[in-house]
Amino acid sequence: MEMAAWEAFIRSTALHAFIRTYEPWLWPLCETLHYLGLSLLLGTVGLFDLRVLGLARGIPVAAIHRLIPWGIAGYAVNILTGIVFFFGHPDQYFYNNAFRLKVAFMALAGINVVVFYTSAFREVQDLGPGASAPVRAKIITGISLGSWVAVLICGRLLTFFRPPFFH
Amino acid sequence: MDPFLAWIETSELAMWVRGDSGGGEFVFPVIVTLHTIGMGFLAGGSTAIDLRILGLAPSIPLKPMGRFLPLLWLALAVNAVSGFLLLVAYPTKALTNPVFYVKVGLIALAVWLVSRIGAVVLRAPDVDQKPLDANAKLLAAASLAGWVALITAGRLLAYTHNWEMLGIPSLT
Repeated sequence: MEMAAWEAFIRSTALHAFIRTYEPWLWPLCETLHYLGLSLLLGTVGLFDLRVLGLARGIPVAAIHRLIPWGIAGYAVNILTGIVFFFGHPDQYFYNNAFRLKVAFMALAGINVVVFYTSAFREVQDLGPGASAPVRAKIITGISLGSWVAVLICGRLLTFFRPPFFH
Repeated sequence: MDPFLAWIETSELAMWVRGDSGGGEFVFPVIVTLHTIGMGFLAGGSTAIDLRILGLAPSIPLKPMGRFLPLLWLALAVNAVSGFLLLVAYPTKALTNPVFYVKVGLIALAVWLVSRIGAVVLRAPDVDQKPLDANAKLLAAASLAGWVALITAGRLLAYTHNWEMLGIPSLT
């Protein structure tokens, strides 16, 4: 099979060479950071979503929203480590249905973030202790929680859907 | 050959988890995935509580933060069951690896810290009426460090084992 131009380009970069040279320790390090990042994302954005959905209603929404920057930090760590994975072994990811589905759920989660902040956020940011969120906000945060978990599931299943030629 | 490890490794349950019985290749990936979801909610949720105790997002009242504890215990239950099944599937891989025992020790520490933080900090009657003491912050800092160490140890299990199964050395 002829290598695609984009893949040949990635394999010609200094980043690819660096990753492959230091792979024995760099790969486990980035995997560990990726797991820490996903925990930070799920633990902060997930708890925010659950509050809007009705769990721990005693917390004002604006207060628990203060955790979101930490979720963004976790996401940033995972984008950076994800780039290391992709540049190290591009074929393992690109020709992998689990990876493609993962990217689709990341896109869904991203669009959902935009939808949330341009619509439902206004309705929930002043909700005090005990206040229940409107249905629209609950649907959007439900999609958020579901899509981030789906991103995790697809990511974890990646290794079981490796292309047969990869090694 | 260790007869105890061999007994576990050849059990019906171990074969079911590994997908050796035929037609069950999805079992192992599903269990590994559940273990990761549980990790995300347990370590992540606990981390959010720790960050709050350490002074970030101080507007969050701590008492209702305790309402997330049942979610963390549910995640722990998922990970105890899934972790047990992974251990049964590859007992030699885990039990001959020193890092596995480090991980078990860190689990005990992390779980103890979650329960202490729940009992001493979140469920203290006057928790939101007075500033947090040094003990609460120490527990939160230890918890945070514990999760980082635990996740690191867990991930390194895939790289530090010498024997996948009895008689089969690992590829790495």
